[in-house]
Amino acid sequence: MSRYLLLFLINLPFILVAMLGAITQYKLRRSTRQKMIARISIWLIVATGLALAQPIYDWLFSHRLTQTEPLSLFDVVQITGIILVFYIANRTRAKVETLEKRLQDLHQELSIKLSTTRDANVKR
Amino acid sequence: MSSTASKLRVCIVIPAFNESSVIGGVVKDVVKTFKNTSYSTEIVVVNDSSKDETADVAKRHGATVINHILNTGAGGATATGLSYAQQHNYDIACTMDADGQHDSQDVLEGVHQIIVRKSDLLIGSRLINNQGMSRVKILGNKGLSFITYVLFGINSTDSQSGLRIYSRKALEQLRWKTSGYEFCSEMLWRAKQIGLTIDEYPIKAIYTEYSKSKGQNNWNAVNIIKSLLKRRIAELLG
Repeated sequence: MSRYLLLFLINLPFILVAMLGAITQYKLRRSTRQKMIARISIWLIVATGLALAQPIYDWLFSHRLTQTEPLSLFDVVQITGIILVFYIANRTRAKVETLEKRLQDLHQELSIKLSTTRDANVKR
Repeated sequence: MSSTASKLRVCIVIPAFNESSVIGGVVKDVVKTFKNTSYSTEIVVVNDSSKDETADVAKRHGATVINHILNTGAGGATATGLSYAQQHNYDIACTMDADGQHDSQDVLEGVHQIIVRKSDLLIGSRLINNQGMSRVKILGNKGLSFITYVLFGINSTDSQSGLRIYSRKALEQLRWKTSGYEFCSEMLWRAKQIGLTIDEYPIKAIYTEYSKSKGQNNWNAVNIIKSLLKRRIAELLG
């Protein structure tokens, strides 16, 4: 099997899961249509880049724009690793942001409740 | 302060951090301005975990004080104040700076204007008539307004103004994520996203030695821009 095809097939599940995640978030009304389109577009660009890796390399090589060796097995592992890290980093960022927002809301509510309760006790 | 049911209820939110030397004067001034008006008002000072006597001074002058447990920044303190206004069913809310930069007459004028114009969010713009403002301040504020336009497509002459008037609809729907000074631009963006009508009216800015020393350094604009860019990209990634 071609290494370029292997690279595409290994990464395809991550890309599909990420795109499915974007659609699910939109369908569950946790995200806007604009956000969903942006996320799907980003992953489509990644998928297109992987699918066209060989023609792009051939074109660059034939026009003397690159002198690197063709894709090795190590490259396949490395690129897959980068895409996986990008996927995990983005999920983590989204989760941290949600937690940050919830913490802010908690702090806000607690501050209002504590201040009004204290005032009521002082009046009593 | 009176509280007749027929009167329009207005909540004036003042986020404050270490402002004990001026907060008393600011609260006193607002109380005096709104005293003989047809509005039922409450002044809420959100003490953003100050290290000085801000809370005590504000309370002594007749304000309701909400004490933040942690220091969150201007955006967080403003959000707390507006959340209080929403929970207490106020018809209109206003935010103003605690450093004495805003004239309370401008706040009153803003309340009149939002009723007449039927806007959801009214911004008091210091740059429509920028007399008394230093060139550096004008440049900094215009620059941030331009960035706000480029990033979010909102055309505002003074995107960083702290004097803002909110309708009941805005109080119920308007939410933002940033807690620092960048919330000013993000708030406009969120208002646009949920379809609120945004308007402006001219106000004057009072620059004393104190407000100059407490005001934003132009270099802080770099942090604001960085944060807004991050927010814009994060929004795209979901």
